[in-house]
Amino acid sequence: MSEPLKIDDLLDSRLMARLDRLDVVSRKIFTGKIHGERRSRRRGQSVEFADFRNYSHGDDLRFVDWNIYARLDRLFLKMFLEEEDLSMVIAIDLSLSMGQGDPNKFDYARRLAMALGYIGLVNNNRVSLFGFGSERVERMTGLRGRRRTRELGRWLLDRTADGEAGFTEGMRAIALGGQGRGVLLVISDFLFRDGYEKGLNYVAGRGFDVFALQILSPQEMDPARHGLSGDLRLIDSETAAETEITASTAVLDQYRQSLEKYVAELRDFSVRRSITHQVVETSLDLDTLLLEYLRRRGLLA
Amino acid sequence: MLFGVMLFGVMSFSVMPSTLLAVGWLAPLAGTIVALATIPPLIALYFLRLRRTRRVISSTMLWTRATQDLRANVPFQRLRFSLLLLLQLLALALVILAIAQPQVDLGESGASRVILLIDHSGSMAATDARDGKSRLDEAKRLAKERVAALNAGGLFSGPSPSIMVIAFAKDAQVVCPFTDSAKQAIDAIGAIQPTDEITVLGDAFELARAFSTVTNPDQPSTAPQQSLAYELFSDGRIGDLARSVLRGGETILYHSIGQTTTLNAGLGTIGVARNPERPEEVQIYAQLLNWSSEPFASDIEVLVDNRLRAVTPQPIDVPGARDDAALGVRIPGETQFAFPSMPLPTGGVVEVRLAKHDAIIADDHALIVAAPPQALRVALVGRGAFVLRSILEGMSLQSLTTYSLSDWNESLLQLPETPDEFDVVVLDDAMPTTLTRGRYLIFHAPPVGSGISPFGVKENVVAQSIRQEHPLLQYVKLDDVFVASMVAVAAGGDADVIVEASEGPMIMTMNRGLLTFVYVTFDPMESGWPFQRGFVNFFANSIAWLAAGGRSAVDEPLTPGDVATARLPAGAMNVKIVLPDGTALPLPSQDVQKVSYGPLRVSGVYKIVWTGATGAGNATSMAYAVNMNSRAEGRADAAPEIQLATERVAGVQSAGAADRAVWPWLLIGAIAVIALEWWFWLRRV
Repeated sequence: MSEPLKIDDLLDSRLMARLDRLDVVSRKIFTGKIHGERRSRRRGQSVEFADFRNYSHGDDLRFVDWNIYARLDRLFLKMFLEEEDLSMVIAIDLSLSMGQGDPNKFDYARRLAMALGYIGLVNNNRVSLFGFGSERVERMTGLRGRRRTRELGRWLLDRTADGEAGFTEGMRAIALGGQGRGVLLVISDFLFRDGYEKGLNYVAGRGFDVFALQILSPQEMDPARHGLSGDLRLIDSETAAETEITASTAVLDQYRQSLEKYVAELRDFSVRRSITHQVVETSLDLDTLLLEYLRRRGLLA
Repeated sequence: MLFGVMLFGVMSFSVMPSTLLAVGWLAPLAGTIVALATIPPLIALYFLRLRRTRRVISSTMLWTRATQDLRANVPFQRLRFSLLLLLQLLALALVILAIAQPQVDLGESGASRVILLIDHSGSMAATDARDGKSRLDEAKRLAKERVAALNAGGLFSGPSPSIMVIAFAKDAQVVCPFTDSAKQAIDAIGAIQPTDEITVLGDAFELARAFSTVTNPDQPSTAPQQSLAYELFSDGRIGDLARSVLRGGETILYHSIGQTTTLNAGLGTIGVARNPERPEEVQIYAQLLNWSSEPFASDIEVLVDNRLRAVTPQPIDVPGARDDAALGVRIPGETQFAFPSMPLPTGGVVEVRLAKHDAIIADDHALIVAAPPQALRVALVGRGAFVLRSILEGMSLQSLTTYSLSDWNESLLQLPETPDEFDVVVLDDAMPTTLTRGRYLIFHAPPVGSGISPFGVKENVVAQSIRQEHPLLQYVKLDDVFVASMVAVAAGGDADVIVEASEGPMIMTMNRGLLTFVYVTFDPMESGWPFQRGFVNFFANSIAWLAAGGRSAVDEPLTPGDVATARLPAGAMNVKIVLPDGTALPLPSQDVQKVSYGPLRVSGVYKIVWTGATGAGNATSMAYAVNMNSRAEGRADAAPEIQLATERVAGVQSAGAADRAVWPWLLIGAIAVIALEWWFWLRRV
C-alpha cells in the first residue's frame, strides 16, 4: 500500500459509501454545545417527548402545551429529550516510530483517522483532530458536516511522522483543550520510552469515551516471519539508539514474550480506566477493521 | 573449548596407553603457534567487530527488554550461541589440527624413529605360537609385518619412520641400524637367531639411545633429541623390567608374544662331584624347577657322552609354583635330587635330562663336563705349616714336595721352568725372588712383580664382600672368620678380588699368561679360619682350580652368553671351536696360550680343539658345557602386560596398523565445515 498523496488515497469512494451507513457510538451520553443527532439525557428541544412540568417564569412559551392549558387552565410545559451533537476527537501519533512497517503504520493510521473522521462528519458530529509529536501538538478542531471532509483529508495528508514521541503532551493538550465530552480515538503504536500511563491518565475520566487503537506493523508483531534474522544492529527510529542482537530463536521468542507482555500491560491499564484497547495490525484490511472489529468493540454502529 | 581439547591432545601421549587409540603429532609446535595466532583473534573479531546488518525499526525498546531478559537467564552472556562462530572455530580447529599433523595409530607414537626390540632369549624358544612355531618365530613374523606396515606409504599414511632393529637377550645387539629401507630391516629381523640366554632389556634401551644421540665432540648439537618409539616383541619375562625406565619423549608398545597359560619345568643347577676317596667315581646331583602352579613329575635320565647311564627309579615329584603377592613374583617349586655314585674313570660330558618334554626344550636337559680324575703334583714352599701340610696330605695327590724358600729360590736359579714341574705351588708366607710362571696358592707374603702393591698391615679384619658364586668359594663360609692381621695391598688392574674387607682385598686371583695365582693376603694361622671346615674346602678348591688352569676341576657349566676361554699349552696350533651342532670354526689365538670364544648363545657342549706345535699327533680338546638357567628363564607363561619402573604397559596381540595420517581428512572436514558455514551465512544474510 503506497503512501497516500491525495484525499482519495486516504479514503476511496467505495469505502466511503459503506461508511455512510455507520455512526459513532458512545457508551456515554454527552452534553454537546449545539443540537445534534444524538439523544441526550438532558430534556430540551427534540421531537421525543419526555415529561411535563409546571411553567415557570422565563420558560420558552413555544414549549407550553396549549391543549392542557385549554382543558385545565393551567400552564404546563412539554419536555422533550434533547438531541445533542457528539464531540469526536481523533488523536494521531506523529512520532517517527509510526513511519515504520510495511504496510506503513503512519499511512494506515491516517487512513483510519480519515475513515473515522468521515463517519463523524457524516453524522454531524463535531470532529477534532490532534497530532502529537515531539514537543508539538498540531490540531484542527470544530469540523462538522460532510462538506468538511476535504479539510479533514488535507490536514491528514499534511501531517508527517517526523518527531519523537510526545504522547503525554498531546493527551494533556486534548484534556485541556475544551473539546467537550465525546469520543477520543487515540491512534498510535504506544511505543513510548517514557510510558503511556501519564498521557492516558490525562484523558481518562475527563468525560471522554477513550479508544486506544494500537497500530503495529506485521514486522513488529512477528519479526521472525518477516525476515528478521542474522546478526543485526537495530536502530531506534526516534532516538537512534542502537541495540545489537543475534536473531536466534531464543531472542525472537523473548521479543515475542516482551511484546505480548507490553500489550497486555497496556490493555490492563486501559481496562482499569474504562478505555477500550484494540491492537490493529497494519496488514489488516481497513474495511475489516471498521466494519467488523470496531463495530464489535462498540465504537461504530 | 576446541582449542583446549587440542592443546590437551598435544600435551598428552608422552607415554602411550597401549590398549587405547592414541594420537601422535608430527608438528605439535606449529599447530600450537597457529592456534594461538588465529583462534583468539577470531573470537575477538566476533565479539568486538561482528559484522551486523543495520536495520531501522520503530523502537528498540522491546528488543532491549528481550535481550536483557535473555542475558539475565544466560550464565555466559558474552558467549551466547552463535552457529557461525562455532562453525568458523570448528573449521579453524580442523585446519590447525591438520597443520599439527596428527597421526592415529593403534598403540604407537608418531615418532620419526621406531626401534624394534626383539627378545631372542631362552623363553622365546617356547613353542606355543601359532602353528606350533616358537615365540621367536612369531615375534619375527610380527616384527616383519610391523615394518611393512610402517612403510606402507600412500597419501593417507604418515611419513615412514626410520627403523632400527635390536635383538636382546643377555646383552643387546643392533642387527639393523636406523634405516628407511623396509627390506633391510626385514632381512635383519629374519637373521635373528634363537639363544638360550637370560633376558635383560636395559642394555637394549641404552644401545638404542646411544644410536639415537648425535655425538659429535667437535660440534655439539643443541637440537632437541628426537622422540623414540620402542616396540617390544617379547613374552614379557624380562629380568630387569623393574630397573628399566623410559626417558622423556620415549614411548613403548609391547607386543605380547606367546600364551599366558604355557607351563614349563626345567633343570636348575647340575653338579658332578668326584668321590675324594674314589676319584674314579662321581656323584651327580641336580635341581628340578617347576613354574606351573600344578605339581610336576618326570623321570630323570643321566647320560655320559650321549650314552644313557641311569634313570630315576620313579618319577621325581616337584611341587607347584606359588605366587608371592607381596613381591609380585612367582617362586618355582623345586626339588633337589642326587644319583648314586657311578664310575667315571675318565672325563666326559654328563647330561641330565627330563624324560618328559614341555614348552621349552632347552632347560629340559643340563650338561656338565666332568674332568678326568687328576693326580696332582704339588710343591709346598716356605714354613710348611702343619695345617696346610695335613690338608695336602689328605688329598689324593700324585706327589707332595716340600721346599724351604731358599731351596726353592736355588731351584729357580738353576732351572727357571721348575714351577712347570708342579701343578700347583703353595707359598706359605714365602715369596720367591721371581714369580713369572707357574700356578701358585700364596698365603700372606705379597707376590712380587705382579702389580700388587703392599702398603701396610691391617689388624682385626673381617670379610665384608664375598663373591660366593666363585668356584674357589664353593662350600666356603667366611662370614664369621676373624683375621688378626693382614697385608694391606692395592690390587692391580687384572687382579680379580673375590673376598674383600673394608680395609682392602683379602683373597684375589690373577691369571696372567704363564702365571696364575690365588693370593690370600693374611696368614691363616693369624685367623680362626683353619679351624673351620670352609678352609679345607677353600684349600681344596684352590688346588683344583689352579691345577685346571684357572678353571674348576669339575667344570661348572657356563650359562648362555658367557665366553669360553681356554689356556693352551705352548705351541698349540690349529685351534678351533666345535659348536653344539658340530660346526667347527677356526679360532685366531689372541696370544700364545690363550683363546676365547663367545658369547656362547645356545646351550650345549662346545669344544676347543688344538693340535701340537708341529701339527702332528692327536688333537687335544677342552669341553665347555653351556646350560640354560631355568630359574632365570624357565617361566614360560607370557606376561599380558609389563611393569617398567615408572609405568605399566599393556600388551597388544597384533602388529597393529601403520601410522594413519589424519591431516588430509581434517582438511576435508575443514572444507566441508567452511562450506556449511557459508551456506548458513547465506541463509542468514
